[in-house]
Parts: sequence; structure tokens; C-alpha cells
Amino acid sequence: MSFRQPSILPGFGLTFGFTTVFLSTIVLLPLAALVLAAGSMHWSDFVHTVLSPRALGSYRLSFGASLLAACINLVFGFIIAWTLVRYEFPGRNLIDALIDMPFALPTAVSGIALTTVFAQNGWIGRYLEPLGIKVAYTWIGVTLALTLISMPFAVRAVQPALLEVQRELEEAAETLGAGRLYVFRRIILPTVLPALLTGFTLAFARAVGEYGSVIFISGNLPMKTEITPLLIVIHLEQFDYQGAAALGLVMLVISFVMLLAINLLQAWGRRRHVRAAS
Amino acid sequence: MSITLDQVTKHYGGVPVVNDVSLDIGDGEFFVLLGPSGSGKSTLLRAVAGLSGVDHGRISLHGRDVTHVAARKRGVGLVFQNYALFQHMTVAENIEFALRVRRMRARARRERRKELLRLVALEGLDERLPAQLSGGQQQRVAVARALAHKPEVLLLDEPFGALDAKIREELRRTIRQVQRELGITTVLVTHDQEEAFAMADRIGIMNLGRLLEMGAPHDLYTRPATRFVATFLGAANLILARRTPDGVQIGGATVAAAERAEDTRENEVVAVVRPEEIEVAASRETLSCGYLGRGVVDEVVFTGALERLRVGLTDEKHAPLLAFGDGESDASLQVTRSQHEQRSFEVRPGQQVAIGVRRVHVLPTPLSSFTACAPSEDLAERLSHQPLLAELAARMKTRITTRSEPQLGIPEAPCQGADTFVGTTVLAAYPDSAQRAEWLLRRGARDLLVLPDEARAPQRVLIHWIGEAARSATLAISASVLRHVPAEAVYVGIVPGQADAAGHPHGMRQLLDARSEAQAAHGLEMRTELHFGDAEQQLARRLGEAPGQMLIVGVGPLAHFTERFRQLLDGGRWPVLIVHRGVA
Repeated sequence: MSFRQPSILPGFGLTFGFTTVFLSTIVLLPLAALVLAAGSMHWSDFVHTVLSPRALGSYRLSFGASLLAACINLVFGFIIAWTLVRYEFPGRNLIDALIDMPFALPTAVSGIALTTVFAQNGWIGRYLEPLGIKVAYTWIGVTLALTLISMPFAVRAVQPALLEVQRELEEAAETLGAGRLYVFRRIILPTVLPALLTGFTLAFARAVGEYGSVIFISGNLPMKTEITPLLIVIHLEQFDYQGAAALGLVMLVISFVMLLAINLLQAWGRRRHVRAAS
Repeated sequence: MSITLDQVTKHYGGVPVVNDVSLDIGDGEFFVLLGPSGSGKSTLLRAVAGLSGVDHGRISLHGRDVTHVAARKRGVGLVFQNYALFQHMTVAENIEFALRVRRMRARARRERRKELLRLVALEGLDERLPAQLSGGQQQRVAVARALAHKPEVLLLDEPFGALDAKIREELRRTIRQVQRELGITTVLVTHDQEEAFAMADRIGIMNLGRLLEMGAPHDLYTRPATRFVATFLGAANLILARRTPDGVQIGGATVAAAERAEDTRENEVVAVVRPEEIEVAASRETLSCGYLGRGVVDEVVFTGALERLRVGLTDEKHAPLLAFGDGESDASLQVTRSQHEQRSFEVRPGQQVAIGVRRVHVLPTPLSSFTACAPSEDLAERLSHQPLLAELAARMKTRITTRSEPQLGIPEAPCQGADTFVGTTVLAAYPDSAQRAEWLLRRGARDLLVLPDEARAPQRVLIHWIGEAARSATLAISASVLRHVPAEAVYVGIVPGQADAAGHPHGMRQLLDARSEAQAAHGLEMRTELHFGDAEQQLARRLGEAPGQMLIVGVGPLAHFTERFRQLLDGGRWPVLIVHRGVA
């Protein structure tokens, strides 16, 4: 079997070669360096570093908050995308453009802005304070920051899928006697599910890697509000390159496993649901 | 009645897409809504299904008023042009959808599914996904799905549009069979007249949001009432003929008219001659039917069973006038001939032939052609290009001729042109339109359209008559005009004097009478309004209220016409069509 497919545009060799070289230089090589750096550690040092209580706490926060943020975006990203796709209202284009703002903003700016609003004396924080809810400098703040910066990924992934849901499918279901909730559950949701999962994955991946916005709002208390990327930076600042690499490797492995799992789930869903033909 | 529509109207952005449609469909009937795209037929179907609301009117299914009932509670089955199957569900899940919604037990569901799959001849495909089926099979699944919950009414929205010819034929048969077997009332929407003929018990033809005519396929084909139906259902030659006391004079032939004439005066009518009713022969003597005229064969096209000819008419004294076209040489008769006819007389392009006509159907439409009338030929020519007039003529597939009357409007001055006025006379609006109008009406013009320069197709047509003599003609002409413009029709009833208790019952009766006569005799659905006071004054006030209105007004005797109609006609603020009848 050959990889080569007949195509109108020539240049398979060139483009494939470019892809390989590019990916190797930008992605694989640095990752290999990371593994090597971690590998040069002694085994007990490695275990000591990656399983220290402080590291474990940071994993929990990093992955826990990222998952939570991705879940929040799954729901609200869907709602925002739905509103933008299904309704005509004044200012729709403006809102559509605003969605991308977290992309463009330096993440540190987002962090500072959020802290300003949610600190104990901030615009919103001061009203939450009497209720006993502290946002800034707690895990809630971390989740909030991660939600903000990963939101565009969820919205942008779902939007095109929603555009493609045919109105006629809903109408057909309606004439067959289905109520709105039923139509949503049985028709719309299954159709956009792959896109929703993609959005979830992207948002999660973005949140796990986030650093800039979180350090401002988290307060960075060891064991409590310290995320793994920050811990890595702390190791670096102490010139403990190997320790940083070890933590990085752990993040790499966990992220990779999770993304792979979601991708496999999606592929399985595709096989089961849509277009088994051809 | 299974489906009853009463004055259903739906607007999109101010334009009526479904305009005052009333319709009764009987139990178990297969009704086809036929019309060109944009005629409002799909919108009407969606309104019946409950997928789009209506702005006005009522919809009942089996005697239950469902105008404000949600689609899911109407108990209809709907089939879409592109199937709209749920792609993530198997055939079985698709068909059982409606049953699952109704929480039917799995066993009963399975039985019903088997039954439906047998009905649409798809046994054994239960576990396939829609994407694994051909287009025809998918549409069968869609039909089965729509029938699963035993709806009282089956609605099909261009169900064969996406299929190729052979599959289409097959599916047509299946659907007709299923429909007969279940005895379910069915409405099919299509733009394909062959499909309509093949399937319908009854056809309703829509254009510009209006339901123009309905009836059995054969009746509609042989006796259409409107130009649109005549030309939309198969090919038709529209020929301007003259109705005389002896019959209908068409070209060199005079044929007996089956329809009773509206009055004894000679007038112009529109005759429909189907291409297969025309005979060509070497000479007048060898024709086996009435002689129409002479012509030259322009084009011969072989299409298998039939041969299609285009025959240009030779200019001679009694040559028939084609309603279509503007008098240019390209206007020619369409003729189709069977194999048998081809064998007995072969023709070639360029050959001279005698043309005969076997059957003629005279349209009951009162509007035949337009004559633009002005003091000079130049002005008449300019008037004939007025946008509204040009649009009307194009939509009615009729011709505009010109006529110059140098002394137009000068009291006591005689006519310069022919002594009869043919068809509808058109007059440009002037500051003294009323006087000119009277001049023309007194000299024989019967229908007179006074047209301001800038007039465009109206959104609303007001209808009124002064004196009962013009009543029937006004309604007939209004119906005819409204078939060709997408406007709403409003009958304006006017009771002289003050708005008081005495005038009210009288006025209401007048409105109801007018409405029911328009509906029964002319197939025209109109709204009604009641006003009090002087007729001309009230009409002028009503016309002045909004732009885009036109008036069709019937008048009897012409006494004091100029003074009375000054406020309506002078200056030309709106188009007015005057219908003058009942002169002693």
C-alpha cells in the first residue's frame, strides 16, 4: 500500500517532507530534550521530585481546575455559540468579535484584569466577600482564569457544527410529535457532539498549559493555589533544571494520555454514529 | 372535510407570499398544490403542518381548528424534499421516532415498523444508516417515518425533487399505492405539472401567493379559466379573438362559443389553442377542420413520439393575432403532431402551410389586450413603456398596441382612430384626466386604465363600484388583475350619509354580498371595509392614506362624470382602472 493518493495538486514529496521536518524541529526535538533532561536524573530523585506533596497538590489543582474550566466552557460555550448561530440581534457581530478577545490579549493582562475585579476590594469581589465566597487567591480564581482564556476554543469549535444542523431535522422531529427538549436531546446534541468534544479537548489543553493569567489571581500558595507550570518555574528559578524537566515530563504524559483518550472516544463515536458508509 | 383553509394569508416583509387562500380537501383525497417556485405553495404547506404561523385566516384539520396548535400536536406527517432523515439513527430508529416520542412499547413499535417497511418496500433494511441508502430509499424511509404515528394528513413537500427520473417514477407509484391503501388525505407540493397530472385527484394551481384555480387534472387542462393556468399546464397558444353574436371569430374561422357572452356587444377575448389541436395541411381545402390562416414553418423539432413545430403566421387580412409577443416577427404558433399526422403530411422548415384549428377554448378573462391612447403617436409610444403597464402586459402575456387621438379630451370632437376600442384602453394621468377619461368612455372605451407616470405594481387594490350595473364586470376584472399582481384585494363598501345605526346593517349586507359573489363567481378572495359618506370622496381619502395602492372602480351612467371623478383622477396620484358598463 502506498501513502500516495492521486491528487490534482502535485508535490506530495515536498509537502510531506516539509511537514516532517517542521514537526520534528518545532515539536518532537524539544520534547525529546525534555525527556533526556529528566532522564539524566537519578531514579529516586525523580520520584522524590514528582511525587512530593507540593507537586501532587499542584497536579490536582492544574488538572482539576482545567477539567472544571473545560466543563464550564462545554456548557456555556455551547449556549453562546447557539445564541450567535440561531438568533439575529443588534450587536451580534460585536459579540462574535469579542469571543476572540482572550486569544489576542496577553494572558497576563487577563490575569491582572480578573484580579482587579475579583479581589476582596474589587468590583465584584467586594459583594462576594460578605457571602463568604473568596475568588481571588483561591482555586475558584484559578478556575475562573482558566475558563476565561479557554472559552474561545469551545465556542469556535461548536459554532460551525451548529450552523450545519439542518432546521429541517428539527422540523421533521417536531411534526413527529417531539417536544423542544426531546428535539434538543435526541437530534441536536448527537449531531454536534463530536464538535462539542473537540471544543472540550481544545479548551482543556489550553487550560492545562496556561501560566500567565493564573499566577496573578492564584496567590501561589504552595499546596493550595499553586499550579504545576508555576512550580516548574520555581524549580527553574532555583536552577533545578532537572526537577523542572521531571515535572514537565509528568505534565506531558498526563496531558497526552487524556487527549489520546478523548480522541479515541471521538473516533469510536464517529464509527458508531455518523456515516458508516463508504 | 379533512383539511379546510379559510382565507389563509402569510406575509414576509410586507409582501403577501400566501394571499387569501381558501380551500377544502376531502377525506382520502390526493390533492396537489402546483405552482412555479416562489408561488407560496411550500409556505402554505408549512402553514398546514404548523411549522410557520399565519397572519390571517384559519386552518382546520378534520373539523378541529388548529390555527394556533403547535406542529407536534397537529397529527400530520411531513416529508421534505431532501429527506431530513436523522443521520445518526438507523432506519429502524428513524421510523420509530414518532412512536418512541409517544412512549409506545418496544414490541408494538417493532411490529409497526415492520408493517411500514413492507408498505414502502424496504423490508430488511432496518439496521442500515441513512447514509448507506440511495436517495430513493431514503425518501421511502422518510415516508414511512411520516406515517408511523398514523397521522390524519400526509404532507409531501416536493418529495421527488432530488431524485432522478426513473426512481422518481417508481417512488411516485409507491406513494400513490400507499396513499390508496391507507386512504389517507394527502397534499403534495410540486412545480412539475406532469407529476401533478400523474398523481392528483385534484390540482390547485398557485401563482404569486394566490390559489388561482383548482379542479380535476383533465378539466383544468381543457378548460382553464386563466391565462396563467392555460400556459402553465402544458403549452398553449394564446390568440386574440373577437366574440361576435355568431360565435368566436378567430383568424379566418368562426367557432361556436360554448360560454354565454356577458353582453351582446362585440368584444375582444383571449382564446386558448393547445398545440395538439392545431392542424397543418398543404392547402385550405385539404384541412379537416376550421381554417385559421396561412403560415410558414420556422422550425421542426423531433422529440420521439411527437414532432414540435413553430409556425410563423403570414400577414394577411384576417390573420389571427397572437396575444403573446409585441407584434414582432418572432411570435409564432406552437404545434405538436403525432407520428400519424407526420406520416400523412411531411413538413420542412420554410414550407408554406395552411393552418387549421380543431378546438378552441375561450378564457373567461375580461382583460384581453392593452391599447395605449394619447394625443400623439410619440406620447402613446412612451405610455406603452410605462413600467406598471409593461409589467402587467408581460405577466398577462398580452400585447400593448398604441392609438393616437389628437383631439383627446376636446369636448364634442370626434374620434380619429377606429370607431371601436379594443381591450383595455390606457390613458396617462394629466391634470385633467377626468375630462379625458370621460371623452374616451363616451366614445366607446369600456375598460380604462388611468396611469400616473411613476406608478408601480400596487401592494393593495381597492375595489368599488358605483351603481349595480357595473358590479359583475368590476368583480371579474378585479379578479383578473389580482391574478397577475401580488397585492391584497380590499372591497370598499360605502354607505351614503353618516355612520349611524340605520346604515350599518345595510352596509354589512353589502360587504357580505360582494365578498361571497367575488368568491363564488370569480374565485377572488377579498377583504372588506365599510365607510360612510360620499363615494368618490371616501375613495380618494382611503387612497391617500398609504402609497402603493390602486383603485378599480365600476361606473354605470356617465352623468357628471368629470366633476365627480376629478378628485380621483386629476393629477394622477394613483393608478385607477375604470370599468364602465350598463349604458342604455
